[in-house]
Amino acid sequence: MTTELTFATSERPDGVLVLAVAGEIDMSNAEAFSVALTETHREAGAGSFVVDLTRIGYLDSAGLAVLFRHVEQLELVAAPLLAPVLAIAGLDDITTIKG
Amino acid sequence: MTERVLVGDVGRDLAAVAWDGTPLGPPQGWPQSLRTAVSILLSSRFPMWMAWGPDLTFFCNDAYRRDTLGRKYPWALGRPAGEVWAEIWDDIGPRIDGVLGTGEATWDQGLLLFLERSGYTEETYHTFSYSPLRDDAGAVVGMLCVVTEDTERVIGARRMATLRDLGSDPSAIRTVDEVLTFTSAQIGRNLRDLPFTLTYLVEDGVSRLASATGIDHGLEIAPPAGESVLVDLDGELPTGEWEQPPTQALVVPLLQQGGETFGFMVAGLNRFRALDDGYRGFVELVAGHVTTGIASARSYQAQQHRAEELAELDRAKTAFFSNISHEFRTPLTLIMGPVEDLRARLGAGDADLAVIHRNALRLGKLVNTLLDFSRIEAGRMQARYEPVDLAAATAELASVFRSAIERAGLTLAVDCPPLPEPVHLDRGMWEKVILNLLSNALKFTFAGHVRVTVRAEGGSAVVTIADTGIGVPPDEIPRLFERFHRIEHARSRSNEGSGIGLALVRELVELHGGTIIGDSVLGEGTTFHIRLPFGVDHLPADALVPAGASVTSDADPYVEEVSRWLPTVDTADTGSRPTVLIADDNADMRDYLTRLLESAGHLVQSVPDGLAALEAARRRRPDLIVSDVMMPQMDGLQLVAALRADPRTAGTPVLLLSARAGQEASIEGLEAGADDYLVKPFSSAELLARVRGNLKLARLRNHHARWRSALIDSLQEAFFVSDEDGAIIEMNSTFTDILGYGPEGLPYPPVHPWWPDRDADPEGHRLVEAALAMLLEHSRGSYTIPVRHRDGHRLWVAAAFNQVQDPDTGRRVIVGTFRDVTAEHYAVQRDSTLAALSVRLSQADSVDGALRGVLPVLKDLWRATGVYAVVYTDAGTPTMVATEPRTLPEDRYARLATLRHTPLLTPVADDLTGAGITLEHPDGTMVLWIDMAEKRPFTQQDQTLLALLAGHLGQGLHRIHQIDQQRETALALQRAILGPAQLPTGFEVRYAPATRPLKVGGDWYDTVTLPDNRIGIVVGDCVGHGLEAATVMGQVRSACRALLLQNMDPAATLTALDRFAAQLPGAMCTTVFCGVLDTETGELRYASAGHPPAIVTHRDGATDLLDQGRSRPLGVRGNGERPEASYRVPPRATLLLYTDGLVERRRQALTIGIDRVSALVQHGRSAPLEELATDVMESMAPPAGYDDDVALLLYRHPGPLDLEFPADATRLAPIRSTLRGWLDRSGVDTGTAQNVLVAAGEACANAIEHGHRQVRGLIRLSALVTAHDVRLVITDTGHWLPPRPAENPYRGRGLILIRALMNEVTITTGTTGTVVGMRARIPG
Repeated sequence: MTTELTFATSERPDGVLVLAVAGEIDMSNAEAFSVALTETHREAGAGSFVVDLTRIGYLDSAGLAVLFRHVEQLELVAAPLLAPVLAIAGLDDITTIKG
Repeated sequence: MTERVLVGDVGRDLAAVAWDGTPLGPPQGWPQSLRTAVSILLSSRFPMWMAWGPDLTFFCNDAYRRDTLGRKYPWALGRPAGEVWAEIWDDIGPRIDGVLGTGEATWDQGLLLFLERSGYTEETYHTFSYSPLRDDAGAVVGMLCVVTEDTERVIGARRMATLRDLGSDPSAIRTVDEVLTFTSAQIGRNLRDLPFTLTYLVEDGVSRLASATGIDHGLEIAPPAGESVLVDLDGELPTGEWEQPPTQALVVPLLQQGGETFGFMVAGLNRFRALDDGYRGFVELVAGHVTTGIASARSYQAQQHRAEELAELDRAKTAFFSNISHEFRTPLTLIMGPVEDLRARLGAGDADLAVIHRNALRLGKLVNTLLDFSRIEAGRMQARYEPVDLAAATAELASVFRSAIERAGLTLAVDCPPLPEPVHLDRGMWEKVILNLLSNALKFTFAGHVRVTVRAEGGSAVVTIADTGIGVPPDEIPRLFERFHRIEHARSRSNEGSGIGLALVRELVELHGGTIIGDSVLGEGTTFHIRLPFGVDHLPADALVPAGASVTSDADPYVEEVSRWLPTVDTADTGSRPTVLIADDNADMRDYLTRLLESAGHLVQSVPDGLAALEAARRRRPDLIVSDVMMPQMDGLQLVAALRADPRTAGTPVLLLSARAGQEASIEGLEAGADDYLVKPFSSAELLARVRGNLKLARLRNHHARWRSALIDSLQEAFFVSDEDGAIIEMNSTFTDILGYGPEGLPYPPVHPWWPDRDADPEGHRLVEAALAMLLEHSRGSYTIPVRHRDGHRLWVAAAFNQVQDPDTGRRVIVGTFRDVTAEHYAVQRDSTLAALSVRLSQADSVDGALRGVLPVLKDLWRATGVYAVVYTDAGTPTMVATEPRTLPEDRYARLATLRHTPLLTPVADDLTGAGITLEHPDGTMVLWIDMAEKRPFTQQDQTLLALLAGHLGQGLHRIHQIDQQRETALALQRAILGPAQLPTGFEVRYAPATRPLKVGGDWYDTVTLPDNRIGIVVGDCVGHGLEAATVMGQVRSACRALLLQNMDPAATLTALDRFAAQLPGAMCTTVFCGVLDTETGELRYASAGHPPAIVTHRDGATDLLDQGRSRPLGVRGNGERPEASYRVPPRATLLLYTDGLVERRRQALTIGIDRVSALVQHGRSAPLEELATDVMESMAPPAGYDDDVALLLYRHPGPLDLEFPADATRLAPIRSTLRGWLDRSGVDTGTAQNVLVAAGEACANAIEHGHRQVRGLIRLSALVTAHDVRLVITDTGHWLPPRPAENPYRGRGLILIRALMNEVTITTGTTGTVVGMRARIPG
């Protein structure tokens, strides 16, 4: 059984696609995360898209690796809990910490 | 002033001198220098006099007055010295002038001065020194004389010299004239004490001047009547060495001890010495010497005269015997007849009768032989020749001797084949021929055989009698058949015999027309060939008779005679009666003398020759030796000479018996020092009288020597005298008792026979060698050495020695004593080894340890090259413990294996290699082997000691084994009663019992796992410590545990324990802290039965004491229920439970200890629990260690996390969840927790992803918190393939994260997996 992870895609008023992820991301479900992210990316085309990690309680290097594949068009939203990891990974410049 | 100077008797007399009349004036006016000189003089105890001033005024002290001044005192005091010593002023005046003139001292030794102090001019000798005395201005104004009078010494030495010269060896002196010439020469050298002497000999009442010294004419002086007489002299007399002649002479009789007076001596006396006791004694001693000399010369002459007479008598005896022999035949026959009748009646066993019979036979034989001679000489021999089977007759005669020859240890070979024709013989004569020759052969043969052969050869019968005896010197062979010729000094069984046997044989053979020749090789044997013609042409026809007509005589006399030459048993005895040693080769004479002397009350030992006598005399000094002169091996003269040459026997009197007078030998005997001389035949009364006389004389003469011997022999210690070369020359009986070597072997030159063998015992040999060197080089000392008894057994002796001067010879000798310290030596060795062994055994805590400790002790003891202990168990290979690292050679090892089956504790010594013994080892049979590469005897004592030590060792090993087992058992029991074998995680305990070597005491701790994550924790303390308290504790602890399991309620548990304690002796007053902890929440319910409070240290360092829920100790009646309290242990706080031993110190409040330990925990709250526990125990321990039991239990909340899970990514989320919960309980803030979660997750992911899985591995995650940090360790335990980084490009990012998030990271990769350790600080 892989670690529980749920996805929800929505569109912001400005038309930017937002992939909201909830649960924890580790090596067991990183692939699922990657599939979801790739799908969103495909839908977003050449435009930017947002991955909302606000409801992610755990993110490790497996998840980071998935994020890095899309880093050119990506914006992140995360809770403060993930801030240290995202900062260490050098993703803080595309991250908005909320809450 | 005067009084102070003029002290003592002389001082008083000095004070009385009329000083006004002297140049010195009254003492009050004396200068200080004079006062000082007089004061020194008077206070000295050494004889002194002094002279002072222009008249040399005389002073002296008490000592001088006493020794020298004599009658001149007190007249001399205050007079001019020249007046005082007028008579010697010519001698001393110039010396004193010299001293006064030059200021230089003089020294004169032994100066002869004639003093007028005793009423006459006296010859005196003085050693003195004159030294100058100076006045206050330093000018020489007087002299001091320090003087010793030497008169006694000088004169004494002079007289001693004369006596010594007189006593020097006068052995060459044989006549009275020679004696007097000698003594005169000696006396004439001392013309001071004896200015002249005249020696008169009185014979038949007429005095004759025999010799004189210092004078050339005789004096008219009457012989003294018994005593010395002093006579006055006048007229012209020689002066000796003096200026003036003697005025008196002492006339001393020359009186022999025993009464005879030889004459008298007139000794002119030195007029300058008084005739005091010393002088008179000297003159009488001089006369005594002269007397003794005269006496011995006269005695010698008398003996010589007697010897000459005896020789004449001997000559006469032969003639006499020849003439009257036939007269003997009748009485002999009359004796023989009745004797044989008596023997027939009384039996042949009667000794006296046998002696009579045998000697009658012998006498008869002698008489017959003499008669034969006279018959032959007179041509009256009536031979009767009959035809005889010579071979048979000769063989028959030879067989008569067979038993005697065989008894003598010889073999008799008879080789007599029948001859072709008979030989005409006179049977009686032929018997004499053969028996004489056989008797002769037996007499001179000591080993080998006697052979008799008969052959026909060239028309004659040849009879040969050959022996393997001593042989005859070539120059003696021509005289073999001479009548009365005897070969002197030949070794033979007996010196009996007249020297006529062979002469008669030749006469008899010649009567048969035959010839006899003898040939011999010295040392190889002698052979006689008799050649008898066959036929009758050579014989007178009228003497021929038919066969069987002649009468045969009797061989008895011959056989009887030779039988007596063969050895019989000696009789030797000791006691206080006088002992007499008899040496005679004639057994009858021996027996006769023995009976005679024994009947007179003497103890008698008899021996058959001189050599045996010498040995016997050396072994046990007899009081008197009675010896025959003529004996085989060593004759009487040689015996005397040998006895006299040996200082131990030099004083033993010897009485010589001789059958032969007139021989030079007997004179030599007396010269050699025989004390008396008795010629056979002698009467028994005469012999006894002589024996008595000699014994008495010897006792007197040897009193001193005997006393000395008795004294030395009575010493409990062995005594010896050694010469300068270390040869033992004297010993006492204890010496012989201890070492087995007797005085007969003296001297014993080194190497002494009792030394340990150089090869067999090099070490012992070295010790003795060193002792000998010490003995010879040092003037005194002592040493202890090993020696070997004559019978071979080894012993130890402790000796002490001193060098002394032998007063007789002036040579340096060493006198020593020693005693047998074998028992002490071995006792000391045994005791010290046993002590060492016991110490080693007591120190050992295992059987092998004991062996390793003990074997070196044994090695040291025997200075072995190695000691090996091999234990043979019933199963398995033997095990070995050894002092040496190297193994035993194979053969030695095999030897040990054979020892295994020898009886227990029975030493087996092997002289070449060592010694072994078997003993019981707890695991089987042990062979103990002492390996001795260096040769050293393993003596009986060594073996005894080995057995003793092995027994001791065996017991010790078993005891250790038992203790070992008991200890193991006890330890197991103790561990069982002390606490849980496995603690729940998160707890740390320590325990220190007060009583060693016990591992338990009255204190305990316990943890009890309860349902719902709860753990019961207990720390208690029963009264006392040691085993007794431990047994109580074990029961209380078990009860407490059971109760907690049952009701999970601390207060209820203690209440129930109260009832339990009431029934268990010793459990009363036990204190207990009992709690139930919820490990999830930290909730603690607790109750304390009189126990010190638990301590909680918060992560910020704050301390809580859990001092609620308290009540009385167990079993102590109190009011109501036991209270219970609750406490919540906050996250990362440390809980400490303990017993009072940790904190309680004498004369110190308990709170001080509690504060101290609280501080320690506070300080260590960030350390892992294990470190903290150790730190607390060490820091709280008093300098001398805990003197009470201590139990300690630590818990930090929450307990560590320990997870193990399969390496599967799907497990990551639940693990994370668990870890998150634990971090939450640990009070870790969210941020830190997240960091920890990510880092741990990365480490786990890494472990999962670390290459391709071969087997599904396990991952282990453990985590613990301290006050300030959290520590994790992630271990993968699977087998992993090498990582392939290219396939996992993002994996490196995990490590970056870990390092970034954690404060400390360690990654260790080994062949079995990877260990990741990490630590994160918890802020706040």
